[in-house]
Amino acid sequence: MKNLIIILSIMLGVQWSFGQSDILSPAPAQDMPVVIVGATAHLGNGATIENAAIGFRNGKITFVEKADDTVWTDDHRVIRAEGKHVYPGFISVNTTLGLREIDAVTATRDEREIGMLNPNVRAIIAYNTDSDVIPTLRSNGVLLAQVCPVGGRLSGKSSVVQLDAWNWEDAAYNADEGQHLNWPSAFSYNWRRGTFGKNKRYSEQVTDLDAFFKDAKAYNMLAADAHEVSNLKLEAMRAVFDGDANLYIHVNSAREIQESILFAEKYGITPVIVGGVEAYKIADFLVEHQVPVILNRVTSLPYGTDTDIDMPFKKASVLEDAGVLYCFSVGDFWRERNLAFQAGMSVGFGLDYDAAVAGLTLKTAQILGIDEQVGSIEVGKDATLFISEGDALDYLGNQVTRIFIQGRDVSTENKHKALYRKFNDKYNKD
Amino acid sequence: MTLIRQLFILVFLLIGISHEMLAQEGFPYPGVDDTRSDFVFITNATIHVSADKVLNNASMIIRNGKIEAVGAGLNKPDAASTYDAKEMHIYPSFIDLYSNYGLKEVKRSSSGGSWYSNEPEVGNKGALGWNTAIKPEVQAFRDFEINKKAAGALRAHGIGTVLSHYDDGIARGTGALISLSEGSEQQALINEHSGSFFSFNKGSSSMSYPRSLMGCIALLRQTYLDAQWYAAEGNKNETNISLQAWNDNMSLPQFFVVTNKLSALRANNIAKEFNQQYIIVGGGDEYKRLDALKATGSSFVIPVNYPDAMDVEDPYDASIVDYSDMLHWELAPSNPARLHQAGLNFAVTAKDLGKGSNLIKQLEKAVRYGLPSDQALRSVTEVPAKMIGAYDQVGSLETGKWANFLMVDGMLFEGGTLLSNWVQGQEFAVKPVEEKPTMGTYTLDMGSESYDFTIAKSRAGLEYKIVVDDSTSLKVKTNTSLNRITMSYQQDGQTIRMSGFWTEDKMFGKGQQADGSWFDWTANLDEASEAKAKPKRPAKSMASKAEQDIVYPFVAFGNNTLPQAKTYLIKNATVWTNESAGILEGTDVLVEEGKIKKIGKDLKSKSATVIDGTGKHLTAGIIDEHTHIAATRGINEGTQASSAEVSVGHVVDSEDIDIYRQLAGGVTTAQILHGSSNPIGGQSALIKLKWGYTPDEMLYPGADPFIKFALGENVKQSRNRQGTRYPRTRMGVEQVYENYFTKAQEYGKLKASGQPYRVDLELEALLEIINSERFITCHSYQQGEINMLMKLAERYGFRVNTFTHILEGYKVADKMAEHGVGGSSFSDWWAYKYEVVDAIPYNGKLMHDQGVVVAFNSDDAEMARRLNQEAGKAVMYGGMPEEEALKFVTLNPAKLLHIDDKVGSVKEGKHADLVLWSAHPLSVYAMADITMIEGAVFFDRAADKEAQDRLASERARLIQLMLNEKSNGGKMRKPMGRQKHHYHCDHDEDEGRD
Repeated sequence: MKNLIIILSIMLGVQWSFGQSDILSPAPAQDMPVVIVGATAHLGNGATIENAAIGFRNGKITFVEKADDTVWTDDHRVIRAEGKHVYPGFISVNTTLGLREIDAVTATRDEREIGMLNPNVRAIIAYNTDSDVIPTLRSNGVLLAQVCPVGGRLSGKSSVVQLDAWNWEDAAYNADEGQHLNWPSAFSYNWRRGTFGKNKRYSEQVTDLDAFFKDAKAYNMLAADAHEVSNLKLEAMRAVFDGDANLYIHVNSAREIQESILFAEKYGITPVIVGGVEAYKIADFLVEHQVPVILNRVTSLPYGTDTDIDMPFKKASVLEDAGVLYCFSVGDFWRERNLAFQAGMSVGFGLDYDAAVAGLTLKTAQILGIDEQVGSIEVGKDATLFISEGDALDYLGNQVTRIFIQGRDVSTENKHKALYRKFNDKYNKD
Repeated sequence: MTLIRQLFILVFLLIGISHEMLAQEGFPYPGVDDTRSDFVFITNATIHVSADKVLNNASMIIRNGKIEAVGAGLNKPDAASTYDAKEMHIYPSFIDLYSNYGLKEVKRSSSGGSWYSNEPEVGNKGALGWNTAIKPEVQAFRDFEINKKAAGALRAHGIGTVLSHYDDGIARGTGALISLSEGSEQQALINEHSGSFFSFNKGSSSMSYPRSLMGCIALLRQTYLDAQWYAAEGNKNETNISLQAWNDNMSLPQFFVVTNKLSALRANNIAKEFNQQYIIVGGGDEYKRLDALKATGSSFVIPVNYPDAMDVEDPYDASIVDYSDMLHWELAPSNPARLHQAGLNFAVTAKDLGKGSNLIKQLEKAVRYGLPSDQALRSVTEVPAKMIGAYDQVGSLETGKWANFLMVDGMLFEGGTLLSNWVQGQEFAVKPVEEKPTMGTYTLDMGSESYDFTIAKSRAGLEYKIVVDDSTSLKVKTNTSLNRITMSYQQDGQTIRMSGFWTEDKMFGKGQQADGSWFDWTANLDEASEAKAKPKRPAKSMASKAEQDIVYPFVAFGNNTLPQAKTYLIKNATVWTNESAGILEGTDVLVEEGKIKKIGKDLKSKSATVIDGTGKHLTAGIIDEHTHIAATRGINEGTQASSAEVSVGHVVDSEDIDIYRQLAGGVTTAQILHGSSNPIGGQSALIKLKWGYTPDEMLYPGADPFIKFALGENVKQSRNRQGTRYPRTRMGVEQVYENYFTKAQEYGKLKASGQPYRVDLELEALLEIINSERFITCHSYQQGEINMLMKLAERYGFRVNTFTHILEGYKVADKMAEHGVGGSSFSDWWAYKYEVVDAIPYNGKLMHDQGVVVAFNSDDAEMARRLNQEAGKAVMYGGMPEEEALKFVTLNPAKLLHIDDKVGSVKEGKHADLVLWSAHPLSVYAMADITMIEGAVFFDRAADKEAQDRLASERARLIQLMLNEKSNGGKMRKPMGRQKHHYHCDHDEDEGRD
């Protein structure tokens, strides 16, 4: 009975929270164990369990099995989910979520600092947990995000956040986990003519970058407090050299991807490629160098008129077949709610379904270095997962009805649903 | 040898004593008059009077700059000097119709004036027209001054006469026919007005209007109308020098300068509208649309500036180069041959020839690529002369014409070298080859000593050597000038110098030893080593290039053969009819003559190609109500609050690869809208995505005309702090409409009154709206402004047809339904600007529920590739029934565009615009396997695979050709890629220039 009241009050609370005001509260910590019974569980690790039972307690997953084989204790709140689908929370990467609110209103933008070298800036502190955009992602299954600064040569530090928080401190899931480098472009564009040719300053730009890395490497041979004159920008690179932070290199064309990897390796760094439009052309190289790729948007236009018109849709499956570690991305903020469909579209063009799910979950977590804690529905990991009425990779199935982040029962509400109801009510009353 | 030498001596004499051939009549002279008449008897020549008439061993008498007589067996007039032209071929000098020779330099402006200003833009001072890009009053001849350097450069191309005009602006005024003689301007200027010039390039004008190609076209069209009005009525009330000149220039040949074949078609559409016949000065790519250009009946002036090969040695660099650029490099030299074979009338110009290029060499190449050499000659002589009605003066070597001719040491375009170019009887050496001593072995006697002495050919010229013995020879440094020779050599560390003269078989003079003592020397020729006249290897014929098939359009994935309607029977598909029949499983659809003939079970047809639809879904083609693909040079005119006069229909780009990419997403029809920079934008183009066809063939015939309006942040220029163009608020936006519709009403009254009136393209379009003959698609976001426009329309007695974007439509859906306006929206966009802060993905559903006809559109080249999936989002957000959701991208946009009687559903009798999907059409997993327009397959995924393979092998072939060109020492340029402009509503750059 008590449980029922709690459930009812949660449901009503959800209804009212948007019905009367547009304010949602983050969910409290998991106070009782939960078991989701009967759903098709897409584990994120490549496996699927039909008619599964997924249990979690104190925010951690305690069992994942066939429901028929499972016995759980009476203290579990049971969520029946026959015919439904459960997925690990999708992870948005390379996003400016929480750093941008309204693109055309400069005052609402915090993703791009002035200058070319900003390795020291930290996206996490600008991350606005109260952004109206965040709940619109959650309700399509995106529960974690890597929030990234952009622009310049070195954009700064990204952090992974969970998408139901009071402020950036409790949002932070893996703070300052990576540094973002925008590799010089090998080509420069002439707008008036609509043509592009070689970037004449390419070598110079790479040389400048190299000089910075050399200086940073030397600087970090000494402990931070051992410097008479300290330098925040050089200091900011320490975690990268120490292997405590990823180096994300944003680069797209085949030759420059290889060049950037060789550059990083010179400094003992195994980078992560972000973008990788032409990664499919050098998949073997990526495997050999064990470099993962955060793929740019699947729903993008091909590079160049002569390129296979379906290449963007096929590229994930090329990397999959070659054995490259990759994940999907959107590279935006509000558009991140379409993350799942990047993977879905790749399935239409030949990618295995379970691999596609992994590219939204476990593989993403592996690339970000958080796969020990999250990214799949496996015992011991965070209970960060959601229930969808149908196939969450397809428009026809993605209906997220329950969300759990670290076991917390998170609202599926958002501003859009509230406005929908408001006007639906208006017309239906009339 | 001797003859040639004599000839050259004559050449030198003529140049050496250049003087005023003819003094100007009535001009004062200093002291004693030295007027001489050039009176020359040229004989023993092969005279090519014209391409059709050759006189062997003929003579020509020239006097006072003109040809007095030409023919065989002429007698030398007593007073004439003789010019023995044995072994010479004489041709008429060329006429170049595109030149700015002898004119002042035009200062180019790089930017289009101030950003949208609130000031009415009037660029001209004086009694001229308002727009500084329209300058028909410019008369090139008034500024003409002889420019010897430029004349020399042109003469080296073989040109003797040019039609010179200021190549600046949209209407450029008149060009003058000028010869390249250097005597006096009075003589050189043959005709003050030989042509009137136009272009789609505003050039040095610093005004912001027009900033798009469609604006350039509108400005031209309006000026034609203004000039007509001025001639009929306007001149009674005012004097407008520009319009007067415009009308005066009408009697001249009208030249229209374009940069490519599609703009040639655009120019021709203007010609048709105003009953003109332009001579198109083209871009050299006419062969890419030969049939369409031929159908225009236009004559052409074409450049022969074939592109250089690109350096594709680095495979990564090569990957950025487009197939179309490589193929154009391969085939551009065949352009003249192809035009000729198609029977087009064309002249050739030296326009745009790069430094170091030569017109004769370029024509030689054209001949090698299949242009008959007589036609090559015609294209630079008779044809241009006739185009400007000057064939009685220039263009052939007939009595009475100007003595403009070329002296060539062989056949022109077949290896002959141009030695001199005579203009108005004045000879100008083009290739002053200096004669040198005879090559061979001499005996050199210098005082007591005697040596063998040799003159032989070397890489640097001639090499002179004293042979001391078998193993030793001394290099002699030599300098010759006229018949002088100076030599010096070193022996035992001392320098011996000699100076003297040379003749054909000997040299002689005095020398000075190292010690200063003088000696006599002679060198007698023992044996001449005949200069091995390198037998010219006949250049390899490339005529087959003029036969090579090309693709339509001329880009990757172009068609080898244009898709044609056939009879198809699609069997056993799941058919989404969009009609009351709903979704039919296991159903056949018969397509015949471009129409859906029959829908049913177990249909049979003997003639049909059967397409197996088992497991697949068949829907009507997708219709994108709002796109900006396939437009050329700008999507926004935007410089004025209203630009109702411009039309995207004039600037459709049939070569945009996005057409093909979107066919692959099932799109068959799209409305290309003007952007949203101003409250009243421009007229739309409705196209079928008939990849391979011309822009005019793509236009949907007989469709109701539409126009783009826009509200909100874009038209207020909210993101531009400098902007001062009215309006800056939503309040002002309403007043702009009030103003223009009031004007349009007044215009309508005047028009109806039967009084004469000035036809105004802008007000015509607005009047059509009031009369419900033209329909508005209005860019809109916030409910307030949406409501405003509906109320305003009601006041003026019309209905807003469509709100596009309409992201807050859900807030006023009931009002929209009542007004009867449709909504064409994004499925889920928001957060990109303040006015979309309340945009929700349930918008489509809410509007639909209130009875609004709802469509989802792309406004985006990428999204348009998967509009079926956007429709799927209507199911996802709010649970639209699937059939209704599919209508968002098929039947509903057809309704909004008033074409639902022909397209939008699978119904017998409608256009066979069909898509066969691999899966449920709203699913993320569906891809279009076949896309058909009017019964012709425009996309087929299997054929696409073949096209990719073909493209790959074509690229490889062309790269090899370019690499060969490089290793053969051909001229190269850096690799260059292309990235077309992907327009969105608010895309706004000055593209008023080519």
